[in-house]
Amino acid sequence: MWTSKVLLVAVLSYLTYCKCNEEEGSPARLLVSKHILNKYLVQDMDIVIKYTLYNVGGMAAQEVVIMDDSFPADSFITAGGQLSVKIDRIPPGSNVSHTVVVRPTKFGLFNFSSASIQYKASENAEEMQNAISSEPGEGRIINFRDYDKKFSPHVLDWSAFAIMTMPSIIIPFILFWSSKTKYEAIAKQKKEKNIKDS
Amino acid sequence: MGGQKNRDGKDKKDKDIGFTKEEEILLQDFSRNVSTKSSALFYGNAFIVSIIPLWLYWRIHMVDVYSTLIWFILGTAASTYLVAFAYKNTKFILKHKIALKREEAVTREVSRKLADDKKMSKKEKDERTLWKKNEVSDYEATTFSIFYNNALFLMIMMFFSFYLLRSFTPTANYIFSIGSACGLAALLSTGTQ
Repeated sequence: MWTSKVLLVAVLSYLTYCKCNEEEGSPARLLVSKHILNKYLVQDMDIVIKYTLYNVGGMAAQEVVIMDDSFPADSFITAGGQLSVKIDRIPPGSNVSHTVVVRPTKFGLFNFSSASIQYKASENAEEMQNAISSEPGEGRIINFRDYDKKFSPHVLDWSAFAIMTMPSIIIPFILFWSSKTKYEAIAKQKKEKNIKDS
Repeated sequence: MGGQKNRDGKDKKDKDIGFTKEEEILLQDFSRNVSTKSSALFYGNAFIVSIIPLWLYWRIHMVDVYSTLIWFILGTAASTYLVAFAYKNTKFILKHKIALKREEAVTREVSRKLADDKKMSKKEKDERTLWKKNEVSDYEATTFSIFYNNALFLMIMMFFSFYLLRSFTPTANYIFSIGSACGLAALLSTGTQ
Protein backbone atom coordinates (compact mmCIF):
# COMPACT_ATOMS: atom_id res chain seq x y z
CA MET A 1 0.00 0.00 0.00
CA TRP A 2 2.81 2.40 0.97
CA THR A 3 4.89 1.35 -2.02
CA SER A 4 2.08 2.28 -4.37
CA LYS A 5 1.66 5.65 -2.67
CA VAL A 6 5.39 6.38 -2.95
CA LEU A 7 5.28 5.33 -6.58
CA LEU A 8 2.30 7.56 -7.23
CA VAL A 9 4.04 10.53 -5.64
CA ALA A 10 7.14 9.82 -7.72
CA VAL A 11 5.11 9.56 -10.92
CA LEU A 12 3.25 12.76 -10.01
CA SER A 13 6.46 14.64 -9.37
CA TYR A 14 7.99 13.36 -12.59
CA LEU A 15 4.94 14.23 -14.60
CA THR A 16 4.70 17.67 -13.00
CA TYR A 17 8.34 18.20 -13.97
CA CYS A 18 7.61 17.02 -17.47
CA LYS A 19 4.57 19.25 -17.67
CA CYS A 20 6.68 22.28 -16.91
CA ASN A 21 8.82 21.48 -19.88
CA GLU A 22 5.98 20.62 -22.14
CA GLU A 23 4.40 23.02 -24.47
CA GLU A 24 0.76 23.80 -24.15
CA GLY A 25 -1.38 21.53 -26.27
CA SER A 26 0.33 18.31 -25.27
CA PRO A 27 -2.08 15.34 -25.12
CA ALA A 28 -4.11 14.66 -22.00
CA ARG A 29 -2.47 12.56 -19.32
CA LEU A 30 -4.51 11.28 -16.46
CA LEU A 31 -3.18 10.38 -13.06
CA VAL A 32 -5.60 8.17 -11.22
CA SER A 33 -5.55 7.27 -7.57
CA LYS A 34 -7.80 4.78 -5.83
CA HIS A 35 -8.22 5.22 -2.09
CA ILE A 36 -10.11 3.39 0.60
CA LEU A 37 -11.49 5.94 3.04
CA ASN A 38 -12.41 3.54 5.88
CA LYS A 39 -10.29 3.02 8.97
CA TYR A 40 -11.73 -0.45 9.58
CA LEU A 41 -12.80 -2.88 6.92
CA VAL A 42 -15.72 -4.83 8.33
CA GLN A 43 -17.83 -7.61 6.90
CA ASP A 44 -21.36 -6.42 5.99
CA MET A 45 -20.45 -2.78 6.58
CA ASP A 46 -19.85 -0.07 4.00
CA ILE A 47 -16.42 0.51 2.48
CA VAL A 48 -16.03 3.84 0.71
CA ILE A 49 -13.69 3.90 -2.29
CA LYS A 50 -12.65 7.17 -3.85
CA TYR A 51 -11.14 7.49 -7.33
CA THR A 52 -9.40 10.79 -8.06
CA LEU A 53 -8.42 11.67 -11.61
CA TYR A 54 -6.09 14.51 -12.37
CA ASN A 55 -5.29 15.65 -15.88
CA VAL A 56 -1.64 16.74 -16.09
CA GLY A 57 -1.71 17.05 -19.86
CA GLY A 58 -2.22 20.17 -21.92
CA MET A 59 -5.46 19.06 -23.51
CA ALA A 60 -8.78 17.83 -22.16
CA ALA A 61 -9.21 14.07 -21.75
CA GLN A 62 -12.29 12.86 -23.59
CA GLU A 63 -14.68 9.99 -22.96
CA VAL A 64 -13.04 8.87 -19.79
CA VAL A 65 -14.24 5.49 -18.59
CA ILE A 66 -13.38 4.18 -15.13
CA MET A 67 -13.92 0.45 -14.74
CA ASP A 68 -13.22 -1.32 -11.52
CA ASP A 69 -13.70 -5.06 -11.76
CA SER A 70 -11.51 -5.81 -8.77
CA PHE A 71 -14.53 -6.56 -6.54
CA PRO A 72 -15.80 -10.10 -7.22
CA ALA A 73 -19.58 -10.38 -7.12
CA ASP A 74 -19.47 -13.31 -4.68
CA SER A 75 -17.52 -11.29 -2.08
CA PHE A 76 -18.85 -7.75 -2.50
CA ILE A 77 -22.17 -5.99 -2.98
CA THR A 78 -22.26 -2.52 -4.50
CA ALA A 79 -24.15 -0.54 -1.88
CA GLY A 80 -23.94 2.86 -3.55
CA GLY A 81 -22.56 4.37 -6.75
CA GLN A 82 -21.24 2.50 -9.77
CA LEU A 83 -18.11 0.53 -10.40
CA SER A 84 -18.16 1.52 -14.04
CA VAL A 85 -18.57 5.19 -14.82
CA LYS A 86 -18.12 7.44 -17.84
CA ILE A 87 -16.95 11.04 -17.66
CA ASP A 88 -17.30 13.03 -20.86
CA ARG A 89 -14.44 15.47 -20.40
CA ILE A 90 -11.70 16.30 -17.96
CA PRO A 91 -10.12 19.69 -18.71
CA PRO A 92 -6.34 20.10 -18.37
CA GLY A 93 -5.08 20.76 -14.84
CA SER A 94 -8.35 19.76 -13.21
CA ASN A 95 -9.49 17.11 -10.78
CA VAL A 96 -12.44 14.79 -10.93
CA SER A 97 -13.37 12.40 -8.21
CA HIS A 98 -15.76 9.49 -8.10
CA THR A 99 -16.92 7.54 -5.07
CA VAL A 100 -18.32 4.04 -4.76
CA VAL A 101 -19.63 2.27 -1.67
CA VAL A 102 -19.16 -1.48 -1.54
CA ARG A 103 -20.05 -3.96 1.19
CA PRO A 104 -17.98 -7.10 1.70
CA THR A 105 -19.95 -10.27 2.33
CA LYS A 106 -16.96 -12.30 3.53
CA PHE A 107 -14.16 -11.63 5.95
CA GLY A 108 -10.43 -12.26 5.68
CA LEU A 109 -7.53 -10.84 3.66
CA PHE A 110 -8.42 -9.15 0.41
CA ASN A 111 -6.17 -7.60 -2.18
CA PHE A 112 -7.61 -4.29 -3.28
CA SER A 113 -6.09 -3.98 -6.76
CA SER A 114 -6.22 -1.20 -9.31
CA ALA A 115 -9.06 0.05 -11.47
CA SER A 116 -8.61 0.43 -15.21
CA ILE A 117 -9.20 3.69 -17.08
CA GLN A 118 -9.66 4.40 -20.77
CA TYR A 119 -9.71 7.82 -22.33
CA LYS A 120 -8.99 9.74 -25.49
CA ALA A 121 -5.84 11.82 -25.04
CA SER A 122 -7.14 14.52 -27.39
CA GLU A 123 -10.30 15.45 -29.16
CA ASN A 124 -9.07 14.05 -32.46
CA ALA A 125 -7.43 10.92 -31.09
CA GLU A 126 -8.71 7.72 -32.64
CA GLU A 127 -7.17 5.25 -30.25
CA MET A 128 -8.17 4.96 -26.64
CA GLN A 129 -5.47 5.44 -24.05
CA ASN A 130 -5.37 2.75 -21.33
CA ALA A 131 -4.29 3.47 -17.78
CA ILE A 132 -4.52 1.94 -14.37
CA SER A 133 -5.09 3.51 -11.02
CA SER A 134 -2.97 3.13 -7.92
CA GLU A 135 -3.52 0.01 -5.79
CA PRO A 136 -4.70 0.38 -2.21
CA GLY A 137 -3.10 -3.01 -1.54
CA GLU A 138 -3.99 -5.81 0.85
CA GLY A 139 -6.48 -5.19 3.59
CA ARG A 140 -7.97 -7.38 6.28
CA ILE A 141 -11.74 -7.42 6.36
CA ILE A 142 -12.71 -8.26 9.92
CA ASN A 143 -15.60 -10.34 11.10
CA PHE A 144 -18.67 -8.30 12.05
CA ARG A 145 -18.95 -10.13 15.42
CA ASP A 146 -15.40 -9.14 16.36
CA TYR A 147 -16.01 -5.55 15.34
CA ASP A 148 -19.30 -5.37 17.20
CA LYS A 149 -17.73 -6.92 20.30
CA LYS A 150 -14.98 -4.32 20.32
CA PHE A 151 -16.79 -1.15 19.30
CA SER A 152 -20.50 -1.46 19.95
CA PRO A 153 -21.71 0.36 23.11
CA HIS A 154 -24.34 -2.41 23.63
CA VAL A 155 -26.78 0.13 25.06
CA LEU A 156 -29.79 -2.13 24.60
CA ASP A 157 -28.00 -5.15 26.06
CA TRP A 158 -26.90 -3.20 29.14
CA SER A 159 -30.40 -1.75 29.55
CA ALA A 160 -31.88 -5.25 29.44
CA PHE A 161 -29.28 -6.38 31.99
CA ALA A 162 -30.22 -3.48 34.28
CA ILE A 163 -33.90 -4.36 33.98
CA MET A 164 -33.15 -8.00 34.84
CA THR A 165 -30.87 -7.10 37.76
CA MET A 166 -32.87 -4.35 39.42
CA PRO A 167 -35.76 -6.47 40.79
CA SER A 168 -33.36 -8.86 42.51
CA ILE A 169 -31.69 -5.93 44.28
CA ILE A 170 -34.46 -3.37 44.69
CA ILE A 171 -37.33 -5.64 45.86
CA PRO A 172 -35.46 -7.15 48.85
CA PHE A 173 -34.16 -3.72 49.77
CA ILE A 174 -37.63 -2.11 49.70
CA LEU A 175 -39.04 -4.95 51.85
CA PHE A 176 -36.21 -4.54 54.36
CA TRP A 177 -36.50 -0.76 54.38
CA SER A 178 -40.28 -0.71 54.89
CA SER A 179 -40.00 -3.04 57.91
CA LYS A 180 -37.04 -1.09 59.30
CA THR A 181 -38.78 2.29 59.07
CA LYS A 182 -41.99 0.86 60.55
CA TYR A 183 -40.30 -0.44 63.70
CA GLU A 184 -37.97 2.52 64.03
CA ALA A 185 -41.01 4.80 63.98
CA ILE A 186 -42.62 2.76 66.79
CA ALA A 187 -39.40 2.91 68.84
CA LYS A 188 -39.17 6.66 68.27
CA GLN A 189 -42.77 7.19 69.38
CA LYS A 190 -42.06 5.33 72.61
CA LYS A 191 -38.97 7.42 73.33
CA GLU A 192 -40.87 10.65 72.73
CA LYS A 193 -43.65 9.46 75.05
CA ASN A 194 -41.13 8.61 77.77
CA ILE A 195 -39.57 12.07 77.49
CA LYS A 196 -43.01 13.72 77.76
CA ASP A 197 -43.94 11.60 80.79
CA SER A 198 -40.74 12.45 82.62
CA MET B 1 -44.52 -40.36 101.51
CA GLY B 2 -40.97 -40.73 100.16
CA GLY B 3 -42.26 -42.92 97.27
CA GLN B 4 -44.76 -40.22 96.36
CA LYS B 5 -41.96 -37.64 96.28
CA ASN B 6 -39.82 -39.83 94.01
CA ARG B 7 -42.72 -40.38 91.60
CA ASP B 8 -43.41 -36.62 91.41
CA GLY B 9 -39.74 -35.96 90.69
CA LYS B 10 -39.74 -38.58 87.88
CA ASP B 11 -42.87 -37.05 86.30
CA LYS B 12 -41.26 -33.63 86.38
CA LYS B 13 -38.16 -35.00 84.67
CA ASP B 14 -40.30 -36.61 81.92
CA LYS B 15 -42.06 -33.32 81.36
CA ASP B 16 -38.76 -31.46 81.12
CA ILE B 17 -37.56 -33.57 78.19
CA GLY B 18 -40.08 -31.91 75.80
CA PHE B 19 -39.42 -28.23 75.12
CA THR B 20 -41.99 -25.59 75.80
CA LYS B 21 -43.19 -23.41 72.97
CA GLU B 22 -41.07 -20.56 74.24
CA GLU B 23 -37.96 -22.74 74.31
CA GLU B 24 -38.66 -23.97 70.79
CA ILE B 25 -38.88 -20.41 69.54
CA LEU B 26 -35.67 -19.56 71.32
CA LEU B 27 -33.96 -22.58 69.81
CA GLN B 28 -35.22 -21.65 66.38
CA ASP B 29 -33.99 -18.13 67.01
CA PHE B 30 -30.45 -19.30 67.69
CA SER B 31 -30.37 -22.07 65.11
CA ARG B 32 -28.36 -21.80 61.91
CA ASN B 33 -30.81 -24.09 60.11
CA VAL B 34 -33.40 -22.46 57.92
CA SER B 35 -36.93 -23.62 57.20
CA THR B 36 -37.82 -25.31 53.91
CA LYS B 37 -39.66 -22.17 52.83
CA SER B 38 -36.63 -19.99 53.54
CA SER B 39 -34.37 -22.47 51.84
CA ALA B 40 -36.55 -22.47 48.70
CA LEU B 41 -36.55 -18.67 48.73
CA PHE B 42 -32.76 -18.58 49.04
CA TYR B 43 -32.10 -21.14 46.33
CA GLY B 44 -34.67 -19.53 44.02
CA ASN B 45 -33.10 -16.10 44.43
CA ALA B 46 -29.58 -17.47 44.13
CA PHE B 47 -30.53 -19.27 40.91
CA ILE B 48 -32.04 -16.12 39.38
CA VAL B 49 -29.03 -13.98 40.27
CA SER B 50 -26.69 -16.69 38.94
CA ILE B 51 -28.30 -16.93 35.52
CA ILE B 52 -28.47 -13.16 34.92
CA PRO B 53 -24.71 -12.92 34.05
CA LEU B 54 -25.27 -15.41 31.21
CA TRP B 55 -27.05 -12.61 29.35
CA LEU B 56 -23.88 -10.48 29.50
CA TYR B 57 -21.75 -13.36 28.24
CA TRP B 58 -24.14 -14.14 25.42
CA ARG B 59 -24.83 -10.58 24.25
CA ILE B 60 -21.71 -8.60 25.15
CA HIS B 61 -18.87 -11.12 25.40
CA MET B 62 -20.48 -12.92 22.42
CA VAL B 63 -19.86 -16.39 23.78
CA ASP B 64 -20.88 -19.28 21.58
CA VAL B 65 -23.65 -20.68 23.79
CA TYR B 66 -23.59 -24.28 22.50
CA SER B 67 -19.88 -24.83 22.97
CA THR B 68 -19.91 -23.23 26.43
CA LEU B 69 -23.17 -24.77 27.64
CA ILE B 70 -21.52 -27.23 30.00
CA TRP B 71 -19.54 -24.44 31.70
CA PHE B 72 -22.69 -22.35 31.97
CA ILE B 73 -24.52 -25.21 33.68
CA LEU B 74 -21.64 -25.96 36.07
CA GLY B 75 -21.06 -22.27 36.81
CA THR B 76 -24.74 -21.63 37.50
CA ALA B 77 -25.01 -24.66 39.78
CA ALA B 78 -21.89 -23.75 41.80
CA SER B 79 -22.93 -20.13 41.97
CA THR B 80 -26.48 -20.99 43.09
CA TYR B 81 -25.12 -23.16 45.90
CA LEU B 82 -22.52 -20.64 47.10
CA VAL B 83 -24.77 -17.59 46.90
CA ALA B 84 -27.49 -19.45 48.84
CA PHE B 85 -24.80 -20.38 51.39
CA ALA B 86 -23.86 -16.69 51.64
CA TYR B 87 -27.53 -15.73 52.13
CA LYS B 88 -27.85 -18.22 55.00
CA ASN B 89 -24.69 -17.06 56.77
CA THR B 90 -25.44 -13.37 56.41
CA LYS B 91 -28.99 -13.94 57.60
CA PHE B 92 -27.77 -15.83 60.69
CA ILE B 93 -25.35 -13.05 61.65
CA LEU B 94 -27.84 -10.27 61.01
CA LYS B 95 -30.80 -11.91 62.71
CA HIS B 96 -29.40 -11.50 66.24
CA LYS B 97 -28.33 -7.92 65.68
CA ILE B 98 -31.74 -7.00 64.26
CA ALA B 99 -33.56 -8.89 67.05
CA LEU B 100 -31.77 -6.78 69.66
CA LYS B 101 -32.60 -3.56 67.83
CA ARG B 102 -36.27 -4.37 67.26
CA GLU B 103 -37.02 -5.87 70.69
CA GLU B 104 -38.47 -2.72 72.19
CA ALA B 105 -40.56 -1.74 69.18
CA VAL B 106 -41.95 -5.24 68.68
CA THR B 107 -42.88 -5.54 72.40
CA ARG B 108 -44.69 -2.23 72.18
CA GLU B 109 -46.52 -3.20 68.98
CA VAL B 110 -47.64 -6.57 70.37
CA SER B 111 -48.70 -5.16 73.75
CA ARG B 112 -50.70 -2.44 72.00
CA LYS B 113 -52.47 -5.06 69.90
CA LEU B 114 -53.19 -7.33 72.86
CA ALA B 115 -54.07 -4.55 75.31
CA ASP B 116 -57.82 -5.18 75.02
CA ASP B 117 -57.49 -8.93 75.43
CA LYS B 118 -57.84 -9.33 79.18
CA LYS B 119 -58.20 -13.12 79.03
CA MET B 120 -54.73 -13.70 77.72
CA SER B 121 -52.14 -14.60 80.37
CA LYS B 122 -48.85 -12.74 80.70
CA LYS B 123 -46.96 -15.86 79.68
CA GLU B 124 -48.92 -16.15 76.48
CA LYS B 125 -48.35 -12.47 75.74
CA ASP B 126 -44.63 -12.95 76.25
CA GLU B 127 -44.68 -15.92 73.89
CA ARG B 128 -46.49 -13.86 71.28
CA THR B 129 -43.91 -11.08 71.64
CA LEU B 130 -41.05 -13.53 71.34
CA TRP B 131 -42.62 -15.12 68.29
CA LYS B 132 -43.21 -11.72 66.66
CA LYS B 133 -39.67 -10.61 67.45
CA ASN B 134 -38.35 -13.78 65.83
CA GLU B 135 -40.56 -13.24 62.80
CA VAL B 136 -39.60 -9.58 62.31
CA SER B 137 -35.88 -10.18 62.73
CA ASP B 138 -36.08 -13.21 60.43
CA TYR B 139 -37.90 -11.19 57.76
CA GLU B 140 -35.53 -8.22 57.91
CA ALA B 141 -32.42 -10.39 58.03
CA THR B 142 -33.65 -12.46 55.06
CA THR B 143 -34.50 -9.48 52.88
CA PHE B 144 -31.31 -7.61 53.73
CA SER B 145 -29.18 -10.70 53.22
CA ILE B 146 -30.67 -11.24 49.74
CA PHE B 147 -30.20 -7.58 48.82
CA TYR B 148 -26.63 -7.39 50.12
CA ASN B 149 -25.39 -10.65 48.61
CA ASN B 150 -27.07 -10.03 45.24
CA ALA B 151 -25.48 -6.60 44.98
CA LEU B 152 -22.09 -7.91 46.13
CA PHE B 153 -22.14 -10.88 43.75
CA LEU B 154 -23.12 -8.81 40.71
CA MET B 155 -20.59 -6.07 41.46
CA ILE B 156 -17.69 -8.50 41.89
CA MET B 157 -18.78 -10.40 38.79
CA MET B 158 -18.84 -7.23 36.65
CA PHE B 159 -15.53 -5.97 38.06
CA PHE B 160 -13.81 -9.26 37.21
CA SER B 161 -15.58 -9.76 33.91
CA PHE B 162 -15.18 -6.28 32.41
CA TYR B 163 -12.06 -4.99 34.13
CA LEU B 164 -9.68 -7.55 35.64
CA LEU B 165 -10.24 -10.43 33.22
CA ARG B 166 -11.34 -8.48 30.14
CA SER B 167 -8.46 -9.82 28.05
CA PHE B 168 -9.28 -13.46 28.82
CA THR B 169 -11.17 -15.63 26.36
CA PRO B 170 -14.94 -15.43 27.03
CA THR B 171 -15.14 -18.97 28.46
CA ALA B 172 -12.19 -18.46 30.84
CA ASN B 173 -13.59 -15.06 31.73
CA TYR B 174 -16.94 -16.67 32.64
CA ILE B 175 -15.40 -19.44 34.72
CA PHE B 176 -13.09 -17.16 36.72
CA SER B 177 -15.50 -14.23 37.08
CA ILE B 178 -18.42 -16.32 38.32
CA GLY B 179 -16.12 -18.47 40.46
CA SER B 180 -14.53 -15.43 42.08
CA ALA B 181 -17.83 -13.60 42.58
CA CYS B 182 -19.69 -16.44 44.27
CA GLY B 183 -16.56 -17.58 46.13
CA LEU B 184 -15.93 -14.11 47.54
CA ALA B 185 -19.59 -13.60 48.43
CA ALA B 186 -19.56 -16.93 50.32
CA LEU B 187 -16.21 -16.18 51.97
CA LEU B 188 -17.21 -12.71 53.13
CA SER B 189 -20.43 -14.10 54.60
CA THR B 190 -18.52 -16.42 56.92
CA GLY B 191 -17.15 -13.49 58.96
CA THR B 192 -18.61 -13.09 62.43
CA GLN B 193 -18.80 -9.30 62.56
